[in-house]
Amino acid sequence: MVAQVPLPFHLDPEQSFAAYVAGSNSTVLAALQATATGSGDALVYLWGESGLGKSHLLNACCQAAQAAGRRSACLPLRELCAHGPALLDGMESMDLLCLDDVQAIAGNRDWELALFHLYNRLRDNGKYLIVTADTVPPSLRIELADLRSRLAWGLTLRLHPLTDEDKLAALTQRARQLGMRISPKVGNYLLAHCQRDWPSLCRLLAGLDQATLAAQRRLTVPFLKQYLQDHP
Amino acid sequence: MTLWIFFFFHAFLRVCSWQLFLDIMSAWEQCVGILQSELPAQLFNTWIRPLQAVESESELKLLAPNRFVLDWVKQHFLPRIEELLTSLPDYSSMRIALEIGSKPPSREPLANPSIPSKKPSIGRKQAIPNNLNLSFVFENFVEGKSNQLAKAASLQVSENVGRAYNPLFIYGGVGLGKTHLMHAIGNNILKNNPSANVVYLHSERFVSDMVKALQHNAINAFKEHYRSMDALLIDDIQFFAGKERSQEEFFHTFNTLLENKHQVVLTCDRYPKEIKGLEERLKSRFGWGLPVAVESPDLETRVAILINKATQSGVSLPDDVAFFIGERIRSNVRELEGALRRVIANSQFTGEPITLGFAKEALRDLIALQDKLVNVDNIQKTVAEYYKIRLSDLLSTSRSRNVARPRQLAMALAKELTSHSLPEIGQFFGGRDHTTVLHACRKIQELRDTDSKLSDDYSNLLRVISS
Repeated sequence: MVAQVPLPFHLDPEQSFAAYVAGSNSTVLAALQATATGSGDALVYLWGESGLGKSHLLNACCQAAQAAGRRSACLPLRELCAHGPALLDGMESMDLLCLDDVQAIAGNRDWELALFHLYNRLRDNGKYLIVTADTVPPSLRIELADLRSRLAWGLTLRLHPLTDEDKLAALTQRARQLGMRISPKVGNYLLAHCQRDWPSLCRLLAGLDQATLAAQRRLTVPFLKQYLQDHP
Repeated sequence: MTLWIFFFFHAFLRVCSWQLFLDIMSAWEQCVGILQSELPAQLFNTWIRPLQAVESESELKLLAPNRFVLDWVKQHFLPRIEELLTSLPDYSSMRIALEIGSKPPSREPLANPSIPSKKPSIGRKQAIPNNLNLSFVFENFVEGKSNQLAKAASLQVSENVGRAYNPLFIYGGVGLGKTHLMHAIGNNILKNNPSANVVYLHSERFVSDMVKALQHNAINAFKEHYRSMDALLIDDIQFFAGKERSQEEFFHTFNTLLENKHQVVLTCDRYPKEIKGLEERLKSRFGWGLPVAVESPDLETRVAILINKATQSGVSLPDDVAFFIGERIRSNVRELEGALRRVIANSQFTGEPITLGFAKEALRDLIALQDKLVNVDNIQKTVAEYYKIRLSDLLSTSRSRNVARPRQLAMALAKELTSHSLPEIGQFFGGRDHTTVLHACRKIQELRDTDSKLSDDYSNLLRVISS
C-alpha cells in the first residue's frame, strides 16, 4: 500500500500567554502581562537561555497589548540587525515596543546609539519597552555605558528552564494543538531517550506529526521507537 | 431656503464621508484579521501590527513608523493587502496609500500613574511641552557626599534663574542623578514662576529638531523658540560631539541666552575640556559658569536611596535588605533601582514579605555574576591597566613609588570588593604578609581624604570594577 502523503500544512502554534507553559515562571508571565497592558513596569528586561520561549512571550505581549487597545510591534533584532538601525526610527509611536535578542546589537556602536536614543524617546513619551536577551544586563557586551545602565534600570526578569514535568505538560499541550495525543508512557519515553531541549522536542514533535499522518497510526511507544530508529 | 438646502446637503455629505471612513476602517480590520491568521506571529507583529490606518478620502491610508517598515511592507505584503481589500464587496476599486507617520493619540495614554513617565507640565497653557518629569524634584533627591555640591548649586540656580551660576554644568558617570537634578531645577523654576519659559530636552532632540527645521525651512522659528527660553536644560551634551552644524547653532543659542541673563543648564558624562569632537569655543564657554561633579554614591547614600525609593513605591524596606543590596550594587543608581525593582516585584507577585533571604534569592543571578566578575585577578588587571604598568610589576617586590601606590590601591580595592581575608589578599599579591595589606588599606583610606587625585582614581576604579 502506498503511504499517505500528508499535506505540507504548517500550523503556527498559537503564541499567546495561555499557550505558554509557565512552569516556575508564573511571576514572569504576570509581570509581562501587566507591562503589555500598560499597568506594569515601563521597562522590562527578560533574559534566559535560548529555547525557553522568549519570542513566544513577546508575541503574546503584542497580542495582550492589542486586546487592551494599545499599539505594539515586535522587532527580532538578530534577524534584522544587518539592515541597520533606521528600523528604530519613529518606533516611539508604539504604546508597547518589544525588542527580541538585544544581544545581537551589543558592541555595534550605531545600533547602541540608536537604541539609547529610542529608549529616551519612549520614556519621554510614557511608552513601554520589553527587551529580551540571552544574559543578564551586566554581562551583555553593550559598550555605550548610557545604554547599559538604562537597560539595568528596568525590571529584570529571568526565564527559568522547564523541568521535565513542565516539558511533558508543554509537549502534550502542543501535540493537542496538532491533533495528536501523547500518552504519559510516550511522554516519558520521549524525555528519557531524546534530546530534551525545547526546540529539539518541538522539531521531533513536528516530525512525529507528519509520520503518524503518513502512516495513519496513533503515536505509541513502538511507533516512536521505530521512528527514532529511522530518524537517528 | 437655499441656505437650508445647502446646510442639509453639507450635513449629508459629512455623514456619508464618516460612514465611508468607518467602513474603510472595518474593512482594514477584516484584512488584518485574515493576515493575522495567515502569517507567522513574528512576521505579523513586526510588519503588520505597527501599521496604522487613518481616515482619507476614498482610499485607505496606512502609516508606517519609518521608511524601512514602509519599504518592507510595500515589497512583501502590499500585493496581498490589496488582494484582500479589493476582494471585499464594495471595495473592488479601493486604493491603498502607504506613508511614513503616526496619528496623534485620540485618547489619554493608558500609562500607569505610578510610573515616573513624563507628563505635561504644571498647569499652565503652553504650545510646546516643557518635557519636565514632575516626579523628579529636589525633595526626593537623596543627598550624600558624592552629590551635595551639585544639589546645592542646582537649588541655587533654580532659585536665582540666570543670576547664580550660568551655565550650570553637571557632569559625572551614567546613572548618578544628573537628569534628576536637571528636572528638579526646571520644576522648581516653574513652581516659583509658573509663567517661566522652561524646556528640558536631550541633546539628540535638539539635533533632530534642528534637522527637521532645516528640512521644512523653519530654522528661524527654531532659533526664535530656543532663544526665547528663560531656562534651557540640555541633557547629555556629549552627544553633540561631531555634529558641527548643531554645535554652531547651539553656540549662538547659548550666547544669546547668556547675554540676556537666561539660564542654561547642561549635563555631560565628563568635564567640558575632556569632550572629544566638541569645538574649543564651546568647551571653554561651558566652563564659564560652574562645572559641578556628581560621583558614585557611598554605601550610606546608596542605602538611603534604596529606602527612599522603596518608600515612594509604598514598600517598607528592612535595613538589612537595604544594606545587602547597597553593598552588592555599587556601580550606579540606575542599577541600584533596577535591583530594588526586582525585589519589590517578586514580593508583590508571590505575596511573600521582603526579608534578607528573599532578597538574596530574588537577586541570586545578578549577585553570582558580580561575585564572578569582581575577583582579585580582575582588580589587579584593571588597576595595572589604569596606571599603565605591567601586572608582573604589581606583583613584584619593587618598592618604586609608581608601582607601590597602585599596588596599595589594588589591595584596598580587593579588601573592599571581595570577601577574601587579609592573609589571602597578601597571597594574591606575591605572597605578602597580612600586615602589609592592612598598612596598604589604612594608607589608602588616609590618602583618599587628603589627595584628591588618588581619591578620584579610587572612585573611578571602584566604578569600573563593579559595573
